[in-house]
Amino acid sequence: MKLVIKLVLIAILGMSSASILAAVSEKDAGIAIAAAEAERKKAASVDSEWRDTGKIIKKAQEAMNKGNYEKALKLANRAEHQGVYGYEQAMSQKDLKMPSYLIH
Amino acid sequence: MKKIISLLILMVIALSALSIAHADPEQDRKSIIKFFETRFVGIPLSEYVNGVYAYDTIGRESWEAIEEFPPYEIAIEKGQDMWEKPFANGKTYTDCFPDGPAIAQKYPHWDKKQAMVMTLPLAINQCREANGEKLLKYKKGSINNILAYIAFESRGKKTHVVIPKDAPGALAAYEDGKKFFFTRRGQLNFSCATCHIQNAGNRIRSDNLSPALGHTTHFPVYRSKWGAVGTLHRRFTGCNKQVRAKPFKAQGEQYRNLEYFLTYLSNGLELNGPGSRK
Repeated sequence: MKLVIKLVLIAILGMSSASILAAVSEKDAGIAIAAAEAERKKAASVDSEWRDTGKIIKKAQEAMNKGNYEKALKLANRAEHQGVYGYEQAMSQKDLKMPSYLIH
Repeated sequence: MKKIISLLILMVIALSALSIAHADPEQDRKSIIKFFETRFVGIPLSEYVNGVYAYDTIGRESWEAIEEFPPYEIAIEKGQDMWEKPFANGKTYTDCFPDGPAIAQKYPHWDKKQAMVMTLPLAINQCREANGEKLLKYKKGSINNILAYIAFESRGKKTHVVIPKDAPGALAAYEDGKKFFFTRRGQLNFSCATCHIQNAGNRIRSDNLSPALGHTTHFPVYRSKWGAVGTLHRRFTGCNKQVRAKPFKAQGEQYRNLEYFLTYLSNGLELNGPGSRK
């Protein structure tokens, strides 16, 4: 009997988490894409945009247009991270430091 | 006492690093030449015009065989036709470049009037524009024909980039190009120097990495990968893409300044373009 109760509970938990995952709305995806685009632009402003960021945002937009909001959100988040890292990369090298192998 | 000595050592280290970061162009060039002399002992400086084949002895055999029947020959012929054929207004390239066609050694240079680095492809297009001709694209296509012809006619001339002291913008452009060269970019976090100084001579997959010295002497280049002759800025674009950085516009400020710095490093080296590469 206990085993049955446990299984029922696990099933309920599983279903609820699945419903959470599926609950990505068009609005969520749109916000994530806008955030990604802002980070891409920020990285580009310091000449440090990565190669694929814009392409990933485009794919996210396409996924959103097809109603696949979960995929759109995932892609947008990836692009947003790339934008953040690209900007940080440029900031960490704001001042030119010659590499140690050239310092005699 | 020990503290004072440690502090002094730290100060000396900091000062030496600072002095190289703001070294003058000639110091930069000498420092990079010294690096290569130490890394590839016995290879004369003049050999660097051959790029990776200065030290890739196996690759050199195939390259020399290719050079016997150069794949860029057609481009030179077409370029000569372009040079000689009058524009619609009756003028020719000679009206823009009276010393031509052997003029590659004059580029890039600091253009005082326009306050910017002037490259040969940009000068060609400015000439065309002034004569009412259609502008040429900067990476692929017929610009490579005229560049190949000019490069061929300029063979044997020496790279001679000048950074005029009375034009502060010139040094700033050089420094900008230098910063670009040493800045890590893209998802792979590589700088131009990572491959073409620090790892020159090491393999990246099946390719031997070429040295920064001599990079600019042999452009435009016929690349087997392209199946065509391409410009230096096309190559810059490819390099940036390979490290997963978004490339910049060909003949935009970033690449022109990079060309200014990179070409300066090869000062004194003979021009031997057009070239052929894998």
